[in-house]
Amino acid sequence: MHPSKSIIFFTVISGTGYGIFIGLLFNILFIEISYSLNYKLFISLVSFLMIVLGLLSSTLHLGHPERAWRAFSQWKSSWLSREGLVSVITFFPMVLFYYFWINNINGYVFLLIILCIFSLLTIFCTGQMYATLKTIPSWNNSLVTPIYIFNGITVGSLFVYSINFYFNYNIFLYEKFIIITIILNLLLKISYWILIRQKSNTNIQTAVGIKSKNISFFEGPHTGKNYLTTEMINKSNNKKNNFLRLTFCILTFIIPLYMINQYSTLIADQFILKLSMIFVFILALVGMIIERYLFFIQSKHVVGFYYGN
Amino acid sequence: MTELPKKTNKKLGLVIDLDICVGCHACAVSCKEWNTSGHSSPLHDVEPYGDDPTGVWFNRIHTFEVETEVRGSKTVHFPKSCLHCDDAPCVTVCPTGASYKRDEDGIVLVNAETCIGCKLCSWACPYGAREYDETAGVMKKCTLCVDKIYNENLPENERLPACVSSCPTGARSFGDLGDENSEVSKLVNEREGYNLMPEQDCKPLNKYLPPKSNKDLFNNEELKPVSKNNNFEDWINEVENASK
Repeated sequence: MHPSKSIIFFTVISGTGYGIFIGLLFNILFIEISYSLNYKLFISLVSFLMIVLGLLSSTLHLGHPERAWRAFSQWKSSWLSREGLVSVITFFPMVLFYYFWINNINGYVFLLIILCIFSLLTIFCTGQMYATLKTIPSWNNSLVTPIYIFNGITVGSLFVYSINFYFNYNIFLYEKFIIITIILNLLLKISYWILIRQKSNTNIQTAVGIKSKNISFFEGPHTGKNYLTTEMINKSNNKKNNFLRLTFCILTFIIPLYMINQYSTLIADQFILKLSMIFVFILALVGMIIERYLFFIQSKHVVGFYYGN
Repeated sequence: MTELPKKTNKKLGLVIDLDICVGCHACAVSCKEWNTSGHSSPLHDVEPYGDDPTGVWFNRIHTFEVETEVRGSKTVHFPKSCLHCDDAPCVTVCPTGASYKRDEDGIVLVNAETCIGCKLCSWACPYGAREYDETAGVMKKCTLCVDKIYNENLPENERLPACVSSCPTGARSFGDLGDENSEVSKLVNEREGYNLMPEQDCKPLNKYLPPKSNKDLFNNEELKPVSKNNNFEDWINEVENASK
């Protein structure tokens, strides 16, 4: 599949934004300290911007962005429609939570729990949209949706960790939570890479349908490209993919694990040291963009059988 | 609505005979000609005379080499357009309801007024039947010439999809596949017509008729070598000498 920049940006950025709430919930549940106003403002601003920018960029790949509102209507059958609808509903608990939390009004934990449920639902809809496409065998499995959810949680809660570190909030249990999330995510990812090696039951024999031992592609409909070949068929290079997988694992899993381990007992006193964890978060985000790019580039659409792919 | 109708009154579709098709592309060209001024008009071309031309086509002819039961292989020309599936996944994924299947005849259409151009339907279709028109920003597709088959301004014998009326070999038939007694249904029964990618569970209406077996074409006699010489040059010399 062709990796569309706006879709990659949208799913990674808004997924991270929603993941911040999950991280924040555990952070607040594990230890209720009086967070400084700057901490609250910064987390609120970043999560809000990420979600809004992500959703806006998702409309960029549309042929008619001005008609995007129509996409809320078909929630009965379409996961894309459900995703749009739930993402808009999520703004209500989000804004309420920001208001209650920043002004220290009781009930913000309850609002955060509601917000987390809707955030997870939004990522769930995104994942389901891909996972229900039978035409792309490497997406059509039960691991895709959990991976989408875990990706959001991993990078989102890493962001909360980096801000904790900046403000010198040492929360021991939160550290353990984030390490467990990263390891689970890594295991999910490895199982996914093993799973997609399986051959799908759609092949050139079923595509053409003629009973013969040997069918091979002879000639395409034309010598040039067309919409289908540019959108759904791409040459994928295994060597490059493996290199990108490794880069992703190092950026999103290994570096954060190492740094959290190194920093767990450290009190950040210098400004540069305080910022370093935010830099680690940015690297993890870049890793996630690589992962999402891989998700597209290594998946094959069954229409490729009609084009000798 | 993007929910599929529980039952359609008719199941209009095409039957394509791979035994007859010679791959002349007449169906694709006449499809483009009719539809560029029809329901989904225009079918844009981008850089038609440039180095890298592309454009919207509803019908395309692919060619495969198929090993035959006896001796060697044959070339099979394989025209493919929208199969107007009973369980059309392109319809249910549509977030706006622009993509729909008609109750009355089962034709799958796109409403260009409400399509947002998200392209998800083209991802959901296993057959590559959907064509994104980048100039118009909407998805387009084969309409089964809905503006021709019901067109009362045309004589009755011309009310056929453009691809069917233009096929010089009669490889394409059009009719109601829901009616067991229709000509197309009989043809499917007789020739063991089949569905493409049945494992994708789309229940396509269009059926394909397989090329006929070549078993009886040969009487199982061994082919004899035309020359003792294996070397091409020697063989040429042999032919030359024989003709002197």
